Amino acid sequence: MRAALALASLIRHRARTVLAVLGVAVAAAMLLDMVMLATGMRESFRELLLSRGFEIRLAPKGTLPFDTDATIPGVGAIIATLRANPDIREISPVLGASIHILTGNRDVSGSALGIDPSVQGDYELLSGRDVTTPDAIVVNDHLLRQLGARVGDTLSVATGYDPQTRTYSGQRKLVVTGRVKFIYGANDQSSSAVRRETLEAMGGQAGDRASLFMVRVRKGANAEQVRDWIDKQLPNVTAISIATAIAQVDERLSYFRQLALILGAVSLFVGFLLVTTLVTVSVNERAGEIAVMRAIGVSRSHVVEQIVLEGVAISFAGAVLGLALGLVTARYLNAILSAFPGLPMAIDFFLFQPRAAWSALGLLIASGIGAGIYPAWRAASLPIAESLRREAIA
Amino acid sequence: MDRRTIAIDEAFAARAHLKIGDLISVSSRPGTIGDTVTVGAIVRRGADPSEVARGDLRVRMHLDQLQTIAGYGDRVDRFAIATTPAADISRLIDRINRVAFGFKAYRSRDIAVETSRTFQVVSRFHRAIGIITIVASSVFLLCIMVLKVEERRRDIAALRLMGISRATVVRAIVIEAAVIAVLGSALGVVLGWAVSLFVNWHYQALYRTPLEFSMVTPATVVFAVSLSLALGIAAGVVASLRLVRTPPLALFGR
Repeated sequence: MRAALALASLIRHRARTVLAVLGVAVAAAMLLDMVMLATGMRESFRELLLSRGFEIRLAPKGTLPFDTDATIPGVGAIIATLRANPDIREISPVLGASIHILTGNRDVSGSALGIDPSVQGDYELLSGRDVTTPDAIVVNDHLLRQLGARVGDTLSVATGYDPQTRTYSGQRKLVVTGRVKFIYGANDQSSSAVRRETLEAMGGQAGDRASLFMVRVRKGANAEQVRDWIDKQLPNVTAISIATAIAQVDERLSYFRQLALILGAVSLFVGFLLVTTLVTVSVNERAGEIAVMRAIGVSRSHVVEQIVLEGVAISFAGAVLGLALGLVTARYLNAILSAFPGLPMAIDFFLFQPRAAWSALGLLIASGIGAGIYPAWRAASLPIAESLRREAIA
Repeated sequence: MDRRTIAIDEAFAARAHLKIGDLISVSSRPGTIGDTVTVGAIVRRGADPSEVARGDLRVRMHLDQLQTIAGYGDRVDRFAIATTPAADISRLIDRINRVAFGFKAYRSRDIAVETSRTFQVVSRFHRAIGIITIVASSVFLLCIMVLKVEERRRDIAALRLMGISRATVVRAIVIEAAVIAVLGSALGVVLGWAVSLFVNWHYQALYRTPLEFSMVTPATVVFAVSLSLALGIAAGVVASLRLVRTPPLALFGR
């Protein structure tokens, strides 16, 4: 009965109800997007870091992985130290370097990772075979396109270029054995991977160096405890766990979280204000009708429930429409932010999580209930006789 | 012998609790003993959008000292060249590139475009958010205006019964809607200006940068007021036309 009356009241003024639902829908879409932005970025980054099961990364002291050209000496000794901890299951040392690939008169530059293929966690093989031999190289599609090369081609790769003498150093012929997708790589990055010893030999460095170690811990082990242990054992490295990395990313991208919070709050407030205004005007218009209902014995609570239901109905309809709209706008906004230079392609700023949708819906319903409270209180406290007299005169 | 001095930026000084006169050791490799230098100055970094969220700590040293510490020899990463106001930059760049051996000259503006890609993405994101906000506020304004006019059904019915023409009623409502839109947007401009001050104060402190994060420009104000006025008038026209087409007695509920 209450629901039917609330619905009848909304249908009576179709135009304004439609406008209010549209207003709430846009506010709901914005709210969903902001909830997705606030939580999605972190979740997406966490999923990315955990995608290959390596919970800890070791970088040169005071740096983030691949943030500088610094390297860690003594790979063998570090692996031996780490192996002493029974909670550590797997260690993957990675060396990073810039490379120049000479093709005809062109010099295509890119990056190369020196890895151990049996424990690497940086890429997924799409076709061909991994770097099982010292002269093998696997490359991503972007680099293949730039080179106009195919799997099986031989490339002339150098690790150094002296612009003054215009000569290349560390030059070597490598065979493209596979196409790969780099998990942490950006869309527009030309990346490749070779065996670590190959890259070391090409770089002419005093061997046994790595830019990064990725560490997988035993199932059930506490990664934070292992990280603390590594910090104590290896003073020349910075051990970064998933939690630390997420905290650092949070700090760098705090602007987006704060923006999401502010815009989300504004959207919620706008939706609330719209529903309150609409229901209040509706109550004012129906003052006589409500007074009649009260005069024939309809209880206060019945009137209050009917008015609150009107607010909730507008909010709910707007929220459902808004959630669909929000998913579309989130995809559009995500496409814009994905163009950040150097951002791994697997990172989504707007990650849909059912929890985010439920949070947005819950907040909107709560605001709908809140929006109905003031007009409901006004309706319930109308002086019956005076309202009837005023209605009769009008 | 006098120690060499270095300049550090504000963020570094705050994070490492350093002040002018403090002695610190600098080296290019972690864990190695470096040169001991005196903090000679604490400087504020320029407004560079590409650096704003990186949180890098920066030290300025004498060139020869950095070359020694980094093992760089007599090398530099780049030269910055100041030109006279009348200089033909394009010709100058061409000339340098013709005679250059092992380096290339670029116009500073072109480098700035490349390094501000992050900022361009953020700008595009802000523009998209701005469009969504404008759509939301347009619907909101339209809704409020329709409600405001519909609330006065009885007044309008009375005016029509007294013989006031439809056109006069529509004009009166549209003028009222325009006045409300202008007053609302004036209040909005003041609120926006205050929010802009707060945003700048907050983010400049957070990122320790003099960069302006939010700017209320005359163009923004004109756009906001014009849009609000146009929407207000449109809403007034739509709502008043609906009402004047309804018979006055029907507006009275008879």
